[in-house]
Amino acid sequence: MTADSRVLAELLEESQDLHADALRPTRDALDEVVESNRPGEPDDARANRDFHGAHRRSLASSFSGAAVLGAAGGAALVGVLASAASASSSTDVQILQTAASIENLAVATYKTALTLPYIGGSSANPVVTKFAQVTMGQHAQHADAFNAAAKHLGGKMQNKPDPAFVPVVNKAVASLGSATPAQGALGVVGLALELENIAAETYVKDTSLASHASNKALFASIMGIEAQHVAVLNAVQALLMANAPQLISLAPGTAAALPAAAGSVGFPNAFYQTTKAAPAGQGAVK
Amino acid sequence: MTDDTNATFQGSEHELHRMTDELDELHGDVGMPAMCDALETPSGTSRRSFLFGAGAAVAGGALLAVGAGGAMPALAGASTRRLSALGAASFPPKGLSGDLAVAAVAASLENLAVFAYDAGLAAATAGKLGAVPPAVATFATTVKGQHQQHADAWNAVLKSHGKAAVTVTNPTLTPTVQSDFAKVTDITGLAQLALTLETIAAQTYQVETAKLKSTAAIELSASIQPVEMQHIAILYYVLGKYPGAQTGAGTPVAFNPTSQAA
Repeated sequence: MTADSRVLAELLEESQDLHADALRPTRDALDEVVESNRPGEPDDARANRDFHGAHRRSLASSFSGAAVLGAAGGAALVGVLASAASASSSTDVQILQTAASIENLAVATYKTALTLPYIGGSSANPVVTKFAQVTMGQHAQHADAFNAAAKHLGGKMQNKPDPAFVPVVNKAVASLGSATPAQGALGVVGLALELENIAAETYVKDTSLASHASNKALFASIMGIEAQHVAVLNAVQALLMANAPQLISLAPGTAAALPAAAGSVGFPNAFYQTTKAAPAGQGAVK
Repeated sequence: MTDDTNATFQGSEHELHRMTDELDELHGDVGMPAMCDALETPSGTSRRSFLFGAGAAVAGGALLAVGAGGAMPALAGASTRRLSALGAASFPPKGLSGDLAVAAVAASLENLAVFAYDAGLAAATAGKLGAVPPAVATFATTVKGQHQQHADAWNAVLKSHGKAAVTVTNPTLTPTVQSDFAKVTDITGLAQLALTLETIAAQTYQVETAKLKSTAAIELSASIQPVEMQHIAILYYVLGKYPGAQTGAGTPVAFNPTSQAA
């Protein structure tokens, strides 16, 4: 290779970087301009022209190197962005509101559970208590995040629990009144397990239902957290059922004492299922 | 293309996104390779693949770790799985782009996980890791099987598009894993290594779930990420730490980060 061709190769590499750098914010801006371009909004045309102008300048700057094809592509993209189509955000708003409703129910459930002596009281396993406290806080953060995303799309915040699952929780909580501590702990874990699994499955499904990349990313950042709750609850449930609550511990040496089955009980499937996922509009604001 | 900057685009949102994607693919698949070929330089595919952000830095670290001695540890249990002999620059294989490139990298990550658990189980069986708790042995065996299923699923995607299955371990991360595995002397060390691999896998799937284009690929990625996260939770439990996603200081987090995504 000659010195000139090396320089050209470096310019090509630089071009590729510039292309990638230019495309990244463009994709984000594309979502925003689509969202802001709903029919009937008076400033659509001006907003589009402003957007178009800003990104034409940005792209022109990005492609000012030696990448001829890249520059041509940039011009084509600018043409495309001259005006954006309208977004259909109703599905995103619905699934975000439904997700918030599931989170609200989870928060309420853990809050109630923590009032029970064998979950949040002096007779409770400290690992279980901490798990319930941390998990309740995480669900509150999830609810806030889902509501913020729904609001960003022009939707209302969902501050109520999912109506389809409220009777299930109420029935389970009512049955705890006459339970022994051991039975009660198992009942709470079973209920939490069901709610966590519904949440995880719903969000797995929502990653493909959501149309906005930011919402896909939000669901993706939470679905695994809920799945971890499921894994822990599966393990706790198994140890309670095996009458080995002392192994619900983070003390050194605990792993050595765990039964073999404890190593796999947390994750029964290689692929997360979605059969129990909540329908998109189940918890949407009416 | 038009010079009229005030022209109104008449298509749908879907078409708008598709056209943007096509532009990107045109640049990466046609423009860059053509120009690179003309210069007789390697194609710049590594810039497009999602792996080579943080992964490149990891690879650099691995080279330093292995060092001039170059002695790769002989890992037991590796006989049926081909350790990558590819350079990171030639992976994903030429001809794969977009979702298929992601599928190839995902398969290579799963292959690496299978390899690591295989090696760990073999070392444990050989008595090189001290006493092995029954639950840990069950964990490694079960998780290895699940990673194999994940690899098979991604390879099925590749094959359904007429592409070859990926049977190598991820070329960027393999040197690091080899180096780290050579230092493992007990179950705790093996769990730490597994935790690193699972974290990279989970965070990579998390990032890609929001970027993939085809619904089938999104669904597959989204169905695997939570399972890797469950592996992580149990690994933390085995290590005596809070069993969930957390910061380096051990504080639980409500949203899984992506800073370690490949």
